[in-house]
Amino acid sequence: MLFTSYYLWIAPHILLGAFLICLLRRRLQRQLPIFVGYVVFELVQFIVLFTIFLHTPYHPATYKWALVTGEGIDSILELGVIYELANELLLSRSALGLVLRPTLQAILALLLLGAAIGSGAFSGISVERVTNIFEMIDFSSNLIEAGMVLALFIFARALRVSWHSWIAGVALGFGVSASIALISAALRAEWGKRAFGAADLTLMAGFHVCVIIWLVSLFLSDRTPPFPDGKLKVSDLELWDQELQRMVQR
Amino acid sequence: MTAATIFIVLGLVALILTIYLAKGHLSKGGDLEKLAIQLRPVDIGAFCNLISASEQEYLREHLPPREFRSIHRERMGAAVEYVRCAAHNASILMRLGEAARQHSDISVQEAGEKLLENGLRLRLYAIQVIPRLYVSMAFPQAGPTPDLLADTYDNMSRQVVTLNCLHFPTHGMSSAL
Repeated sequence: MLFTSYYLWIAPHILLGAFLICLLRRRLQRQLPIFVGYVVFELVQFIVLFTIFLHTPYHPATYKWALVTGEGIDSILELGVIYELANELLLSRSALGLVLRPTLQAILALLLLGAAIGSGAFSGISVERVTNIFEMIDFSSNLIEAGMVLALFIFARALRVSWHSWIAGVALGFGVSASIALISAALRAEWGKRAFGAADLTLMAGFHVCVIIWLVSLFLSDRTPPFPDGKLKVSDLELWDQELQRMVQR
Repeated sequence: MTAATIFIVLGLVALILTIYLAKGHLSKGGDLEKLAIQLRPVDIGAFCNLISASEQEYLREHLPPREFRSIHRERMGAAVEYVRCAAHNASILMRLGEAARQHSDISVQEAGEKLLENGLRLRLYAIQVIPRLYVSMAFPQAGPTPDLLADTYDNMSRQVVTLNCLHFPTHGMSSAL
C-alpha cells in the first residue's frame, strides 16, 4: 500500500517532466501556453510538497496549507486551460464563436450552480477547516472541468470538428482526471475519513492515467490526412468536382 | 439518494462519455481519395419544394386535414433526410479543408480555411434546422416554421454554392501539376 502510494505520487510527475521536455522540444508550447504554465506549476507544486513531506520535523499544517494554496492556483490554471481548449476548438472559428460562446457560458453557469450546491453539501466533510476548504475547491474545479470538457467533446462530435491529436489528448486527459477526481471527492464526502486513503489513491491513479494519455497523444501522428499534393491527379479532382456538382444539382 | 451518490454517478457518466467521444479524435484519419465516394447527392430544388410555405399552404387547402397531416409528415421526414445528407457532405468537405490547410501553397491553405468555415456553418445550420423540421412534423398545423426553415435553407444553399466555388482554386492548382 505504501509503495503504491509513493509510486502514484512520484511516477506521474516524472512522466509529466518528460512530457514537458517533449512538448518544448517540439515547440508546441505556442499552441497551448496556459496548459504549459499549468504543467510547470504542477511540477513546482510537487517539488514543494515533496520537500515539505521529507523535511524533519514534519509539519502537517504547513503541508496542508501548501496543498490548499496549490489547489487554488491549480484550479484557476485548469479553468484557463479549458478556455484555451474551447478557443482552439470552437471560439476561434468565426462561424461558431457567435453561436457557441453563449451556449458554453450557459453550461459554465449551470456547472457553477452545481458546484455551489455540491460544495454546500460537502462543506462539513471534516472537522478541520483546511481540509474542508481543500475539498470544496477540489470538488468545484473538478465538476466544472469534467462538465466543460464533456461539452467541448459533444460540440466537436456534433459539428465534426477535429482537433490535432495531441490537443484532443490534453482534453481527454483533463476529462478523465477530473471525472475520477469528482468520484473520489464524492466518495470522501460519503464515507468521510474511512475513505480518505482509497479516495486519495483513486485520485492519484486518475492523474497518472491523465499524464499517460498526454504522453501517448503527443507521440500519436496527426489525425488530419495529408493533402495529396504531388500525387494529386487531375482525374481525382475532376471526381471531386463531379461529386460537388451532384451535391448541388437542381 | 444522497448528493454524494448523485455526483458519483455523474462522474462515471462523464468519464464514459468523454472516453467514447474522444475516441474519434485520437484515431488516425482516413484516406482523402476515398472521401469523394462517400458524398451523397442532395437535390436542393426538391428540398426547397419540400419546405416551401406556399406549397404547404396549397396542400393544406386542397387536401382533407387527415391526409394533409400524413403527407406533411412524410414531406418533413424527407426534408430531414436531405438536411442530414447535406450535413454529411459538409463533414467530408471539412476533412478536405483541414488537409488543404496544411499544404505548402498559401492559396490552397486559404481555400482550405474557407472550405472549413463554410462546412462548419452548414453543419451548424443543419443542427438548427433538424429539430424545427421534427417540430413541424409533430405539429403540422403550427404554421410559421416554414419561414424560419426557408431562411435557414437560403443560408445553407448559399454555403453549398460557396463550397462548390471554393473548389475551383484547388482545381486550377491541380491542372498545373
